[in-house]
Amino acid sequence: MTVTAIRTHLTRRLGPLLPILGAVAVGFGVCGLIALWVGLRPSLMFTELIKGAVEGPQFFETVARAVPLAGMTLAAAIPLRAGIVNLGADGQLALGGCAAAVVALYLPAPDLVRLGAALVAGMTIGALYAAVAAAGEIFAGVPLLLSTWLLTYPAKGLCGYLVRTPLRDPTTAWPSTARIAVGARLGALIPGTPINQGFLIVVLVAVAVIFIDRRSSIGFELRLRGLNERFARYGGVALDRQTLGVMLASGAIAGLIGAIMVLGSQFRYTDGALTAPQYSWSGTLAALLAGGEPLGSVIAALLFAALQTGGFAMERSVEIPRVLTMVLQSVIILFLAMRGAIWRRS
Amino acid sequence: MAYLEMIDIVKRYPGVLANDHVDLAVERGEIHAVMGENGAGKSTLMSILYGLQSPDEGYIRFKGTTLLLQSPLDAIAQGIGMVHQAFNLFESLSVWENIVYRREPRRGIFVDGARARREVEELARRHGLPIDPQARVASLPVGVRQRLEILKALYRDAQVLILDEPTAVLTPAEVTTLFTVMKSLAAAGCTILLVTHKLNEVMAVSDRITVLRNGRVAERLVTAATNPAQIVRAMTGQQITLPSAKRPREPGAVLLEAHALVVEQQGRRVVDGVSLQIRGGEIVGIAGVAGNGQSELIEALMGLTAVAQGFVRVAGRDLTRGSVTERRAGGLSYIAEDRARTASAATASAIDNLAMGFHRAPPLARRGLLRPAAMRDWARGLIDRFDIKIASPETAVSTLSGGNLQKIVTARELAHNSPVLIAEQPTRGVDVGAIAFIHGELLKERERGHGILLVSAELSEILELADRILVMYEGRIVAEFARAAADERTLGLYMAGGSRA
Repeated sequence: MTVTAIRTHLTRRLGPLLPILGAVAVGFGVCGLIALWVGLRPSLMFTELIKGAVEGPQFFETVARAVPLAGMTLAAAIPLRAGIVNLGADGQLALGGCAAAVVALYLPAPDLVRLGAALVAGMTIGALYAAVAAAGEIFAGVPLLLSTWLLTYPAKGLCGYLVRTPLRDPTTAWPSTARIAVGARLGALIPGTPINQGFLIVVLVAVAVIFIDRRSSIGFELRLRGLNERFARYGGVALDRQTLGVMLASGAIAGLIGAIMVLGSQFRYTDGALTAPQYSWSGTLAALLAGGEPLGSVIAALLFAALQTGGFAMERSVEIPRVLTMVLQSVIILFLAMRGAIWRRS
Repeated sequence: MAYLEMIDIVKRYPGVLANDHVDLAVERGEIHAVMGENGAGKSTLMSILYGLQSPDEGYIRFKGTTLLLQSPLDAIAQGIGMVHQAFNLFESLSVWENIVYRREPRRGIFVDGARARREVEELARRHGLPIDPQARVASLPVGVRQRLEILKALYRDAQVLILDEPTAVLTPAEVTTLFTVMKSLAAAGCTILLVTHKLNEVMAVSDRITVLRNGRVAERLVTAATNPAQIVRAMTGQQITLPSAKRPREPGAVLLEAHALVVEQQGRRVVDGVSLQIRGGEIVGIAGVAGNGQSELIEALMGLTAVAQGFVRVAGRDLTRGSVTERRAGGLSYIAEDRARTASAATASAIDNLAMGFHRAPPLARRGLLRPAAMRDWARGLIDRFDIKIASPETAVSTLSGGNLQKIVTARELAHNSPVLIAEQPTRGVDVGAIAFIHGELLKERERGHGILLVSAELSEILELADRILVMYEGRIVAEFARAAADERTLGLYMAGGSRA
């Protein structure tokens, strides 16, 4: 192979990745400059960041954080693949967690059955709630961008009401439900670490989504709609049914993640506790970073999880505010948004 | 030395040599046709002459001096005007306002409207281009708007006029008028550069022809001493075999039927009670000036737009409320007018583009799962059969020329082997070789006993292929002819909304 042939081969293979790597590099560069400007050593910042993300027990922290983050990323990536945006993942997440808590606490059944039913309940309610927004667009022309976002508030409000009045655990100071019995929880996967069995569930979901995306007729229709919606419609893709399916899948995953967080690490539903870490937001960014391609989205989610855990550790150890890691994430996305223009010109 | 010369022009774009040492010489008062297939470099050459692009090498000499054009404003100042295919007019302003815009006669700080109107009237009379200076542009038909564009250039003292595909949007009668105007302008000393790919127009109106191919001058011809075959040879570099004349055929059963179809948009009936029937083994052509409801009619037939009244039947089944999916399954396939925006996904590979619609069933899928090897073979097969020039089946179709992309679309839609094919502008902006190929394929469909509904703005295409011809005007079918009873003049009359005689 000649040099040119090798270069063409590399460009074809890595072509789609180059702008992403470029944006990541620019993001780190910008953060380094900010660090310099406020009188910090960038090298110190970056070593603390990386150590805080992967060194020793911090590695498990990162993995534990990556579980819900990757899940919420998939919930964002599925619609994004078809050019649809689900901004309501927080509502679906909260409802899913709340429903899972209720089932795990009050279903009169053996522990394992309660656990399974709680996971299914979380998925189902998340899916149904997302379907409300889809129906709004299909039958009444309410844009999904608007409806998914606005429907977040009633969902969070309802869950907040439930844990303040009928489901309130009077023994705690927080607006939360009672604690779920040990038998109905998702157990630890690696004892002594915060990683629970939810990890396996999310891995399964991710594998399924990637497989469907790449190998199924459904995935083909989704991808081509994302590339050109007019073409998909012209070619006979039933767009309304697809919208509904996409929202059901996205909402189901968001609801499932809510259930996993409640059953695997929080053991009760506390108002605001599922949405406070803003996994749906980071997930949307991660999915955007990969243009909705599921494997890339998951990889981006892992990167963000590492940045976030690293950011916390960095803040603790050298008192560099972790808001810098949010700046880093934002800069990466902004530069990526420019890639079209930059790369087309060169 | 010629009146206007472009000498040794070179223009490079990334990966393309658009103009490769092109020389063009034009005499004063001449109508000079610049011909070539898509991508031959004629647009680039004209945009250099009009100052839109600057050449990498070479220069322009006009009336003995070398011109340095930085922008169209420079070109206009030198007396070079251009009428683009898409007009640049203020629709809400009047004719005279459009003409004098940025060169208004003034009185103090005010526009001298009375004088402007007088000047416009005088200009129109001098050039034999009648127009009402007070009319709103929005109310004018396309032919008059074009006349207005020409007047705009003349008002700026254009001595050289570049007309880019000027007949694309005109009715035959308007074309005849335009040719008369061009000839009288030329007789008065105006030099006209006509950019076109239509042979009959070049033969009818030009004095000399420069043919470009792959960015180079392929041939310089004197119109009076050449013939269409020679021009085609120069444009394509090869002998094109035109499809054999079609055999008469007894039409079969009704395959597609529309009855009293109405489509409303913003309270307006864009399709107003259209009824038609397509039988097996016949090609029905819909003639009409673009924008008279043809696109909306087709979208209604395909289920892409809602039907307000009437019904659509495919092979006897009522599909008026059916989705695109159901209609395709019911026996319709469809070559959409806009190949880049509707009929393909530009960034997707040829494999994906050719698999669309075949991706749910064997052989390309089994039990809901795609079969990548089968998809690739499928694409390979169609690429070979339709002789599509593409690097590999994995290549994105955005890299293809118009003709090859159109072949991708045609290949996919014909592969459905549906009883009815709707072909909307199937050869617009496509090179001569691909036109001949696509026409041949449409005729083969007819031989197979399939019904074809052909919508085209090119009358010659309809006259060549159709067995029956419907004329559409303002959303209605205003006339129907058997092919033998139709001629260009009569069709043109109906297309312009004239005469119900």
